[in-house]
Amino acid sequence: MDRNKLIKWIKTPAKMGNKYSLHAVYFCTGCGIIEIPPTITTRWDAERFGVTPAATPRQANLFLITGYVSLKTLKSIIRTYEQMPEPKYTVGFGSCPINGGMYWDSYNTIKHLDKYIPVDGWIAGCMPRPEAIFIAVTHLWKMIDNDMADGYKKYRNNYDQYRANQEKVLGSLDWPPLFK
Amino acid sequence: MHISEIILSPLLALIVGVFFLGLSRKIMARIHWRYGPPITQPVIDIIRMFSQKSVSHGNLFNFGIIFSIAGSIAVVLFIPFGRIHPLSNSGGLLVILYIMLLAPLGIALSSGEAANPNSSIGISRKLLLTLGYEFSLLLILLALMTHYRTISITEIVALQQKGSWSLFRLPLVLPGIAYILILPAILGVRPFEISKAPQEISSGPMVEYGGTYLALAKIEHAFAIVIGISLFVNLFLGGANNLAFFFLKVLLVFILGIFINAVFPRLRTEQAIKYLFGIPAFLAFLGLVITVLI
Repeated sequence: MDRNKLIKWIKTPAKMGNKYSLHAVYFCTGCGIIEIPPTITTRWDAERFGVTPAATPRQANLFLITGYVSLKTLKSIIRTYEQMPEPKYTVGFGSCPINGGMYWDSYNTIKHLDKYIPVDGWIAGCMPRPEAIFIAVTHLWKMIDNDMADGYKKYRNNYDQYRANQEKVLGSLDWPPLFK
Repeated sequence: MHISEIILSPLLALIVGVFFLGLSRKIMARIHWRYGPPITQPVIDIIRMFSQKSVSHGNLFNFGIIFSIAGSIAVVLFIPFGRIHPLSNSGGLLVILYIMLLAPLGIALSSGEAANPNSSIGISRKLLLTLGYEFSLLLILLALMTHYRTISITEIVALQQKGSWSLFRLPLVLPGIAYILILPAILGVRPFEISKAPQEISSGPMVEYGGTYLALAKIEHAFAIVIGISLFVNLFLGGANNLAFFFLKVLLVFILGIFINAVFPRLRTEQAIKYLFGIPAFLAFLGLVITVLI
């Protein structure tokens, strides 16, 4: 952790600020909700690393999707993601958002989340332990350092493709396109 | 009055306020038996927020938040910090009472423009809470002004430096206790956290703030903490002759506030209003009557 290195703070303040102040929106769709309370409270204390839950997507920069994504919640996930200010990072938590997991042949869940919104990293497991969240956060730090966590740029550049994918499963979306 | 004091005073309030925000998170963490974030975490947060792209919701949205910070800075200029008192010789308590409302009003104007139902609920709760404690605060300040026969805050501090603190003067004990009872409401800490209520109405008026706006709102919050406590320290704990001693007193009162924040749950709106118009208002009124009769 290079939180105390003053020279780095002076050189790249925005990058360092984003690294050590990850305010997270927990989109608790499935069983991942169970892993979040111990992570943010006394047992594992995510606030040590500056990771705190944010009350609204406007105040956040980390989007954690914890569990399977049904078609109904996909709509909310897209709206929440689009409301977050850039730069923003998304992490899929558990095997369900990665490839459908145990819901792989379900009629009302989607199988690959990264078709609909860009995902910067995955935490595999069913369910992953809270320690896995911390490992993911340290990986995210490395990715931010190397400019690899650029999902929001991908979303901006390939918005037509993402929008087409979203409309394919959800029918017509009742909000205008984010980027023209 | 010196021109450098006008710059120094808000700067000092900002630094102390941001330090307090960090300290409160650390102390809360230790009470929860956690390690807690570093004490510089609010600074990191503010740097991050300024670096983010922010979404505006209209001209009033931009104007209101700046208006609120300007209002806070104006109040800071009227409050003496030790020997630094840029404008506190003019106006006094009446002006402070009047312009203390600018900061919540600016936030209300700004977040009202965002047209989010949560922020509307937050604003109405915030203004109700303000109404609740302003009544007692007005009675307390009237008692003080009657007792010392002045409206100047520097004179009140000077008179306390000669004698004893107002909190221990016989007719002012009751208003002092009333002030302590409404202080959590002025600071907006946990039993009276009804306007923010992150779990209930998603942080109320701040719900649509992101990026730069959130950073400015946080800075305004830092100012509000310093203003609320230093007014109490100046009026009832005798102020101070030098800066270090003054902020030491402010720090002690703030830590007491954090302890209250840590152990109490949040009241409902009507419970908070019932409380504020109950014992504190009665004590303040009784204190005013006793002060006038003596």
